Amino acid sequence: MTDTSTTEFALEVRDLSRTFGARKALDGVSFDLPKGAFLSIFGPNGAGKTTMLKVLSTLTSPSKGTAKVMGLDVVADAVLLREQIGFISHNPLLYPDLTAEENLQFFADLYCIPDPEARIDELLTSVELEHRRLDAVRTFSRGMTQRLSIARALLARPDVIFLDEPYSGLDPHAMDILDNLVAQVRDQHTFVMISHDLAKGLELCSHALILAKGKVVLFEEKEAIDTEAFSATYRATVGMGVS
Amino acid sequence: MRQFKAILKKDIVMELRTKEMLTSMGLYAVLVLVVYQIALSQAGASFDVLRIAAGLLWLAIIFTSLLGLNRSLVHEKDQGCLDALLLAPIDRPVIFFAKAIGNLIFLSVVEVIVLPLFYFFFLAGKTIGGPIWMIPLPMIIGSIGIAGVGTLLATMSVNTNGKDLILPVLFIPIMFPLLYASVAATTAVLIGDPGYATVYWNSLALGAGYDAIMLLAAYGLYEFIIGA
Amino acid sequence: MTDETVSQHKFLGIPGNVWTLGMLAIGAILTTIDFVLAFFYTPLVVGAQVAETRIINGIAVSNQLLFSQKIFYFHVPVAIGSFLVFFFTAYYGVRFLMTKEKKFDTRAKIATEVTLLFVVLTLITGDIWTRFEWGVWWVWEPRLTTYFIMTLLVIAYFVLRASIEDEERRATYAAVFGIIAFLDAPISFAITRLIPSSVHPVVLRSGGGLTGSQLVAFLLGLFGMLMVAWVVYQVRLREELAKERIEALKASLEG
Repeated sequence: MTDTSTTEFALEVRDLSRTFGARKALDGVSFDLPKGAFLSIFGPNGAGKTTMLKVLSTLTSPSKGTAKVMGLDVVADAVLLREQIGFISHNPLLYPDLTAEENLQFFADLYCIPDPEARIDELLTSVELEHRRLDAVRTFSRGMTQRLSIARALLARPDVIFLDEPYSGLDPHAMDILDNLVAQVRDQHTFVMISHDLAKGLELCSHALILAKGKVVLFEEKEAIDTEAFSATYRATVGMGVS
Repeated sequence: MRQFKAILKKDIVMELRTKEMLTSMGLYAVLVLVVYQIALSQAGASFDVLRIAAGLLWLAIIFTSLLGLNRSLVHEKDQGCLDALLLAPIDRPVIFFAKAIGNLIFLSVVEVIVLPLFYFFFLAGKTIGGPIWMIPLPMIIGSIGIAGVGTLLATMSVNTNGKDLILPVLFIPIMFPLLYASVAATTAVLIGDPGYATVYWNSLALGAGYDAIMLLAAYGLYEFIIGA
Repeated sequence: MTDETVSQHKFLGIPGNVWTLGMLAIGAILTTIDFVLAFFYTPLVVGAQVAETRIINGIAVSNQLLFSQKIFYFHVPVAIGSFLVFFFTAYYGVRFLMTKEKKFDTRAKIATEVTLLFVVLTLITGDIWTRFEWGVWWVWEPRLTTYFIMTLLVIAYFVLRASIEDEERRATYAAVFGIIAFLDAPISFAITRLIPSSVHPVVLRSGGGLTGSQLVAFLLGLFGMLMVAWVVYQVRLREELAKERIEALKASLEG
C-alpha cells in the first residue's frame, strides 16, 4: 500500500471476512471508496450490509482481512477512528427522557468537543429544532427525532457518515428535511448508506455496492451504471434471499 | 474524565427526572419488610429477631439491587443508546466504571432509607451489641461488590431472552461469598457476643478481598461483553 | 474448514480412537480397584472431628472411627476432578475471548458439561457421607455448601447459554461467566471455611497424612476419575464436531 492511497480514499476494504464457526456474514469483501463519495449499499436481508457497517464503524471487528476508514485501521486505530465517524440509524440513538439540548450536551462531552455550546446552537438551528431545545425527546415526532439524530451525528464534524436505512418509517415531509440536510453537508463528508429504496439510493449515490450472502455482487461508480441492467441485477440478487 | 462524568451525570439526571428506579426500589424494599413481618408474626415472643436481623437486612438489599441493576441497563438498550456509547471515542472500562458507580449511588440511597426503617420496624428497643459506627462498614463493602459485579452480570442478562429473570440466576451464586461475609460482619456487630470484633474484622477483610478480586475480573471482562 | 475428528489425531503414533477406548478401560479398572481396596483393604481411619463436642440428632459426637469414611476414596477424587475440569471451562473461555474462534467455545461448553456431571456426583457422595457420619441428610457445612454453590454456578452457565440465540454473543457471555464462576468457587470455599458459623459445625477432617495403602487407593481413584473425565469429554467433543460438520454440509448445500 503506497502512502498516497491512504489520504485519497475514505474506505479501503481488503478481503474482509466476518465468520463464526460455519456461518459467514461477510466473505472476502474488497473495494475502495474515494473521499467525498456517497456509497449506497444494496442487498437482500442477511446479505451482510449491517455487519459491514458495523465493522467499518468499529462496532465489531473482522475475523479476516482489513478495513481502513480515512486511512485508519478499524481494529488498530479504533478509538481514534471513532472521533471521525458519525452514525445515523433507524434507531434514533437518543435518550427520550432528556431534552434535545441535554442529549447534544451529553454527546458533545463524550466526543470531547471544544466549545460545545456554540456548536450545539449551530446544529440546532440547522436542523430547525431551536424552538424545541428544552423539550424532552420523548415528545418529539419521528421526523423531529431523526433531525436531532442527524445533529448528534454531525457534532464532532466527522469525516465519514454512516446511514443505516435512515428513511425507514419517515413520512414524506420528514424525508424531504432529511434530504435537505444531507444536501447541505454533502460536500464536506463521505457518506455510506444502506437502503432498501433502490431509486433513492441510486439518486443520491456516487458509487453503488450490491452485497449478497456476504459477497460483493457489484461495485461500480454511478456514471458506469446502466439503470436497467442495475435494476435487473438488483432484483435478481434480492430474489436470492437469505444466506 | 469528562466522559466519565458525562455518563454518570446523564444517568443521575435521567433518574431524578423520572424517579422510576428509586421509587420502585424504595417501594420494593418497604414491601419486603412487610413480608418479613408476616414471616415473623408467628415466631413467638421469645424469638430473638436480632439473631437473624442481619440476614433479613441483606436479603432485602439483594432483592432490591436485583431490581435496580436491571432497570439501569434497560434504558440503554431501549433506544439503541448502547450503540451510541460504543461508537463514541471512549475507553470501554470508563463505561463500566460510570455505570457501576451510578448503580452504587442508587443502591446507597435505597440503603439509607431501608436501614433506619428496618431498625424502626424490627429492632426498636433492642440493644445493639457493638458500636454503631461499625454497622455502615459492611454495608459499604458489600454494596461495592454488588454494584461492580452486578453491573457486569446485568449488562449480560439484559441482552438475553430471559432478561430480568436471568439476573438472579447468575447473581446469587456469584455473590454468595460476599453475602456470607457481609451477614457475618453485620451479625457480629448487632449481637456483640464476646469475640465479635475478631469475627467482624475477619469478615470485613474477606469481603474486601472478594471485592478486590471480583472487581478486577469484572473490569477486565467488561469490554468483551459490551461489544458482543 | 478444519476436519478435526478425534480418530485423525495421533498421539505417540496411536490414533485418538484407540486412546479413548484405552483410557476408558483403564479408568474403569482403576476406579474399580480403588473401590475394592477402599472397602476391603485400607485400614479404618479416625474419622472426622468436630471442633468441640456437639449434640447432633440427640447423640453426642466428638470423634468417630468410621467405616463410612471409605466413601472418601470416591468422593474426594470426584471433587478434585470436578474442580480441575472447571478450570478448563475458564481456560477455554479465556482462549475464546482472545481468539474468537468457535472451537474454543465448543470445548468450554463440553468441559462445563463434564464439570456438571462431576460436581453433582460430588454433591451426592458428599451427602451420603454426611448421612452416615452425622445421621442427617444435609448440613450446611463449608464443603457441602461450596459444592452446592458450584452446582448452581454450572447450572447458571447453561441457563445463560440457553437464553441467547446469537451464536457469537452466546459464546462470549458464556466465556465471561465461566471465568467469573471459576474464580468464585474457591472464594466460596475459603470464605465458608474462614468465617465460623455459630450454627453449623466446622468439620475438621484429619486427612493430614495418608499412610501407604491409603495413599495408593486414593491416587488410583484420582487417576481413574481423571481418565473417566477425559473420556467423557472426548466422546462429547466428537459428537459436537460431527454436528458441526453436518451444519457445514447443510450450509454449503443451500449455497
